[in-house]
Parts: sequence; structure tokens; C-alpha cells
Amino acid sequence: MFRKKQAKQKPDAVASALITIAGKENVLYLKEDLLSYECDGYTLERGMPRAVVFVRNTQHVADVVKQLNALGVPYIARGAGTGLSGGATPRGGEIIISLVRMKRLLELDLENRQAVVEPGYINLKLTQSISDKGYYYAPDPSSQYACTIGGNVAENSGGAHCLKYGVTTNHILGLEVVLPSGEMMEIGKSGVPDQPGYDLLGLLTGSEGTLGIVTKITVNILKNPEGKKTALAYFDDIDDASQAVSDIIATGIIPAALEMMDEIAIEGVEASAYPVGHPRDIAAFLLIEVDGIQAGIDDQIDDILTVCKSNHVRDVKVAQDEAERSMWWANRKMGFGAMGAISPDYLVQDGVIPRTRLPEVLTRITEISRKYELRIANIFHAGDGNLHPLILFDARVPGESDRASKAGSECLQVCADVGGSITGEHGVGIEKSAEMRFIFSDEEMRAQTDIRHVFNPDDLLNPGKLFPEPGRCVEVKHNEKKEAAASIN
Amino acid sequence: MTTSTIEAVVPGEQIKESETDHPLGNGGRQIIQAHSEEDISNVLQYANEHVLTVNIMSGGTKRGYGGTMKEADILLSLANYKGIVEHSVGDLTLTVRPGTTLKEISDQLAESGQCLALDPPWPELATIGGIVAANDSGCKRLLYGSARDLVIGTRIVYVDGRVIRTGGKVVKNVAGYDMNKLFIGAMGTLGVISEITLKLRPLPKYEGLSLVHFPDGGEQKMHDVARCILDSMMEPVSLEVLTPSISEKLTGERLYTLVIAFEDQEKAVIQQEKWVTEHLPSGVTQTILSEQEASEWWDAFRHQGPNGHNDDPDATDTQAALKLGSLPSDVPANLKIAEELAGVHHVSLEAHGGAGHGISRVYLNGFPEDIIAFTKALRSAVENKHGYVICTHLPFEMRPAADVWGEKPAYFSLLEGIKQTNDPKKLLNRQRFVGGI
Repeated sequence: MFRKKQAKQKPDAVASALITIAGKENVLYLKEDLLSYECDGYTLERGMPRAVVFVRNTQHVADVVKQLNALGVPYIARGAGTGLSGGATPRGGEIIISLVRMKRLLELDLENRQAVVEPGYINLKLTQSISDKGYYYAPDPSSQYACTIGGNVAENSGGAHCLKYGVTTNHILGLEVVLPSGEMMEIGKSGVPDQPGYDLLGLLTGSEGTLGIVTKITVNILKNPEGKKTALAYFDDIDDASQAVSDIIATGIIPAALEMMDEIAIEGVEASAYPVGHPRDIAAFLLIEVDGIQAGIDDQIDDILTVCKSNHVRDVKVAQDEAERSMWWANRKMGFGAMGAISPDYLVQDGVIPRTRLPEVLTRITEISRKYELRIANIFHAGDGNLHPLILFDARVPGESDRASKAGSECLQVCADVGGSITGEHGVGIEKSAEMRFIFSDEEMRAQTDIRHVFNPDDLLNPGKLFPEPGRCVEVKHNEKKEAAASIN
Repeated sequence: MTTSTIEAVVPGEQIKESETDHPLGNGGRQIIQAHSEEDISNVLQYANEHVLTVNIMSGGTKRGYGGTMKEADILLSLANYKGIVEHSVGDLTLTVRPGTTLKEISDQLAESGQCLALDPPWPELATIGGIVAANDSGCKRLLYGSARDLVIGTRIVYVDGRVIRTGGKVVKNVAGYDMNKLFIGAMGTLGVISEITLKLRPLPKYEGLSLVHFPDGGEQKMHDVARCILDSMMEPVSLEVLTPSISEKLTGERLYTLVIAFEDQEKAVIQQEKWVTEHLPSGVTQTILSEQEASEWWDAFRHQGPNGHNDDPDATDTQAALKLGSLPSDVPANLKIAEELAGVHHVSLEAHGGAGHGISRVYLNGFPEDIIAFTKALRSAVENKHGYVICTHLPFEMRPAADVWGEKPAYFSLLEGIKQTNDPKKLLNRQRFVGGI
């Protein structure tokens, strides 16, 4: 039976204005086209955008922003939508300014170790396009095959190698930005360091798309290290693994990466598309990478093996070739997604603690797991104390989404209690805005929103992110999430 | 409640009436020593209520850096608000009060085999508060970064007395805006830094230093050697170009010199020095210093230029210092231009610059009008290549004519907006910063 085709919905006044600027082929406004923009990589909360506009150049961005200002319509910049805290998720009714079609590598200046890219350029593509010349781009979030550098700037993304090489902010030399006023600014002109004036480059990086829309990025690129070695160490006791982390740092080595996974996380990655054959009865493993001048690498890896042995390691091995190293890393980098193989749903958290408090924090996370009767897998950037507890749940079971959300929040409370932070690399977004209160006073948050006001006085750019709404506590948020989850399923 | 007198705010023994006019300006009619964060907060609150301007100083090494007001109502000294609050050895983090000198920090950390990887000049005089507020750095920033890469948290006393924490105590943190960055290099115009938390490093296991001298006319060769190293897998901590005049003082050779330093495992350092030797062109000489000699050399290097206390009031000459920012590849050419302009304008010049990081330092001696003419000429040349010139040390009287910060950036309204937000009455370090902020 043929159903009569529904009459095509007409663009409203706002969508029409966007079509005038960017062309019909670059604007989405039909409900079915907008569904995939309801959320980013954080899926527990969703909101419907009013339209999506794909901008092609800086002028488009400026024109769209000016138009939306005139109409008083809020808007959000979005890259690949891989963010994990809802930074690109609409609260409802915003225009999404998608930067994915601004995806060119504009300049490469090897002499000054710089590359200029558009915001929609994919993180991993940069390394791939300069690797033949012996260079790479250091920040390597697990989603680097898909995430955009514009998004990385917004979130100040990290990755597995930031222990030694720092996070995105340490690699950004210049930005072209469209401000909420529609004005275009060039900050950090030509990648010259220490520009006179307040460090707007540092302020904009990690501002989660609430201060301006980045349209061009100058990044620092690095020369590949001469030598690299990767070790995998299996422990029967997670406290031994934690102690080994501290002892490695105490030897005076700064590894390029120092990652840990616990038993449940290992169960997940072994059930995923990239199993390594890790023993199933170990409590934790450490994935340790050192890089630098070849002549010093062997001594460093020897020192690390010694540390592991003195901490009762069951087995420790060094990758024999690039294939083995890549396999270990693929297994690690698929860690979050792998949870899908052992649980219908999972919630990723992103707390940071002083590295020395690891054993105590792990004990408390175990208690949280018992309290909420939910399994929690742990994947850590152990070297810099950045924990990713993955709370496993089944959204189809009434009440589990809510319990997962509460368990996640409690994990962050533990991190805050030991002097840490509620997010190391995923950002606050919608997800953790209530938890900002765990670490900042209202007065301190006001100092930040006062700065936002300088850039974004009408709060039309990405409203309702980063900071809790006045009077909105964690409990209220959980109830909202519960409702949101119920409506999704 | 309004407090009527300053004596009600801090004990009388912490208040002094002003000394005589200081040639570097940036003084205050009343000098108030802060001994605690509470003192800082009380003084600022008092100043805010009474609309009194406040200059902020610790070691005074940057007293000649910006500022077109001879004195403020109050000079708030943080020199006695010092000491380490917490050194978490296992976490490689340090929390410290602003009046602590870099040397005091380094000495304390060395006992645990750690260091703060900042190497600006005059470490026994320069305090961490001043270094961060002025974003000062040394040549090892090539590998280790500058204050913006190392500061992970601060406590800031705002002008109304509020104490605001920025960042935190962990090395990775993206909660909220990265407010630390606002105060680094803000020259104290947005708030008073009352505590700083920094990321540390293990002390290097071995330090190597090579001095490579290039014969007259060998500037291109020097440029090529620097580029060759930067395009290699070697990992120098510094790749600093010395002009012949400063090289003569520090190495005995009046030639362009490249200072190549490595810090790593001993084997790795020796391997890299060997690599450099093998890749040097003919006609240049390389001296590899022993670890002890290297340490003494760096010590001498870090005691060059004005420090706020070494201007000679009786000298006929004036001393000045400039900071140049440029693309790293422009550093050798900029230094050469500076040398030539020094001849034209009859000033004596010593200069060095990072061929890998783009910051150069120029130390000058000469008559005030010649220094000003030189600075203008150099600025114009450097700005042509998207760089900038800032005067980091000048006598007070010369600052307006020399234009310490150069042209306002295009986004100046944002800087003004931020200043207005944090310090609406413009009381803190008034007129010390870019565009008269």
C-alpha cells in the first residue's frame, strides 16, 4: 500500500535567512534531518535544534552569527559531534553551525613547526598528512580518527600522550575567531609566541564553544621521536599497579604514556573488535610508553621493568615491533566503545586526582559500584591521574539510568574530595555543570561567567553550558536525566 | 563597612611612608608589606573602598617594565609573603606563595631531585609571583614551555578583596574556563596572585652544553645549523643564538654563537652532542662543556641585563632591555638587524634569541634619545615580519616616548572589557600594561 507522501515542510524565517547566506544545500531544517544533531557523544541528555547550517568559510560564520544576533536566536558551533559532555548538544531551539565542511589544511610551515588548519579538519589527518616528513600533531584523544581540531580547541582535548606532551592548549599557537558580535579576530598572529595582551588564546582554548567560534587554527607540530618502546605489565593486585605508577614517576622518567585498565575494562576490550589476548584473571594492566633519543630509551625501559618487578608484576613484556605496539594501542583506544560488548549502556566519567591518591580513590569507586549495584570499569591515564570510570548499566531497566548518573556524579565527588577535578579532558558541557559546584564556589563561577559576558554578552552562543543554572543542584539534574532517559527509550 | 584608616587594616609596622622618587617609577606613597593573603585582601578592599591606586611588587626585578605612573597611592609589597605551601613530591606539583624567589624554589626542589622548568634571569632576585605576572621565561622554554604550560592553579585576590581560585592542583584539568591564563603575563592588572600551583619535572639526569662559534659572515650557516637540528629528531632544551658582543662576554669569542643544550640520560645527551658534531659545516668551532662548566656557564648567562637594582644613577649611559617576539626562523635575522641598527643609533647592544622558540632579548646601553630611536627602528623592522618589540626595562621618564608595548592589538576592546570586569576602577597597576590598561 502506498502512503501519500507528506507535504514537505517549508523553511521558517530563520532557516530561510540561513539559506540566503549559505545556500539551500547547506541548511537542514526538516525534523528527520535534525534528529542526528540532538546530542553529541554524551547521549543521556538531548535537545532538538531548530536548524543546522553548514558553513564553508569564515565569512559565512560571521554572516550567520550576525543574522542570528539580529533575530535573537541562540546558536552552537559543532564539529564531528564526538564530545563526551554534551557541549554541542542543544538545550532546544538553537541553530547548529556545523564546521565540518571547513576541513582544509591551509598551510604547513615545517621550518617553524606550524600547521594552519580549518576547524573541521580531523585530528588524525593532520598527523597522517605530515608523517612522511617525520612530523606529527601530539594531542591524541581516543576519538582522533573522527574528532575535529576545532572541537579539540573548544574542549581543550587531551589524549593518552599528554603526560609528556601536554594537552591541546599547549599546542595552539594562533586562532582566528568569530566573536558573538560577528566580528572576526586573529589572535596569536602568525604563531608568534607571547603576544602582548591578556592570553586570549589560553582563555578561548577549552571554553567549550561559549566565547567565540574558531574558524582557523595554527598548531604546533612535533618531530617524531627517534626511539620509542612500549611495555605491557600485568598485575594481580591493582594496588601494586598503582604503586608501580608512582614508582615509575619517582625514577625521574616522564613516560610518553602511562595507561591503566582494571579487570572489568579488560573484560570489555577483550570482547571488542581488537582483542590482544590479555589474561582474563589479572587485576590490572599498565601500558607504558617511553620515547625520545634512542640511546636513552633502553635504560628507561629497563628502569621501568625493574619497577614493575619490584611491585610483584605477574608478567611484563616489551612490544617486539610496530604491529604489536599498534595492536596494544588499538585495544586501549577502543576502550570506551568496547564496553558496548559487555553492557547495553555505559556512562563515561572523567575525573582527575593527584596521582598519589589512586589506591584510595579506587577503593571508594568500588564502594560506589556496590552501593548502586552497577559494575564500574576503570580506564585511566594513570600517569596524570585522569580516571575514566565507565559505569555499566541497562537503560531498559527502570531506574538504572538514574543510578548510573548518580554513581558517575559520586565518582566525581570522590575526585573533588581528594583535591582533584571533575574533568580532565572531556569538558563540563551539560553533563557536569551541576558538579562544577564540587570544586568551585558560586563566587568563583561568577568570576568566570563575568568573563563570558565580555565575549558573549547576550549568551546566544552555546547557552546553558559549563555553569550550573542558579539553584540547580545535582539532585534536580538527576531527576531531569531520568526523565530524559525515559523519553529516549 | 568602610574602614577609615589603613592602620585599621594592617599592623602599623607593615606600613612605611614612601622613599624618595625611584628612577624606575612604579612606586607608592605608602608601602605596605603583606604577610598573608588576608593582608592582601584587606589592603585591596580598603583601596577599592577609598578609590586608591595600588602598585604590586615583590623582588622588584621588573620595576622598569611598563608603567607610566610615577607612583600609586599604595605600593603593595609581596616580598615577605613567601614560602612553599605544599610540595607533593609524588604528584610532581608545588604550591608556593608569590614572594618566593626562583632560587629558593629550585634549592628546595633539588633536595627531592625535582625542578621547576622555568629559567628566567636573576633567579635569586626574581620571585615566582613576578615571573608569572610578567610571563618571564628563559631559553629552555624551547623544550619545557613557559609559565602558561606550567601553572596549573592560582589563588587570586580580586580588587574588592574576593579570593578566587583558578585551575586546581592536578596536572590535567578542563573544568570551567582556563582562568589561570588570564593572570599569566597580565602584569598584575587583573588581580593579585596570592598563591601559585605549578607542574614540576624530575631534575635532568645529565646536562650537556655545546657552544658553536660561527666565523664572521657565517650567519647563514648558523641559521642552517639551527634549522638542521630542529628538523632532526634531536631534542635540544635550548638553541639560543648569541650576538658577538654577548658571546664575547660569556664565551670569550666575539663571534655569532649557537648555544645548544641537551638534558636527558647521559647516553642520550652524548649521542646528541655527537650528532651535532657530525652535522656541523666546516669552518665552525664547537666547544663541549663539562657538566660543571655548563652549570657555571648558565649561571653567568642568567646574570645578564638589567634587574631593577643594577641601574647606575651616576652613569652617563642608560640601560634598557627589550623583548622581541617573532617566528623562530626570523630570530637570527632580527638579531642581525638589531646589531646593525645599534651601530646606526650609537647604542651598545648585547642580545640573544631562541632559534626554536622565537623570543629574543636585547640589552642596550646608550643615551636615552638614541635608545628610543633604536627601539622605534627595530620595532618597525620586526613588526614587518609579524613580530613585536616590548620594552622590559626602561627608566620611568623614557617610557612614554619609547611606547613600551607598541600598537594596541585589533582585539583591544576585549582586553579592555576583561580589565573592566575584574578591576572597574582601574586601581591595580594602573597604566602598566598594553594600551594603557
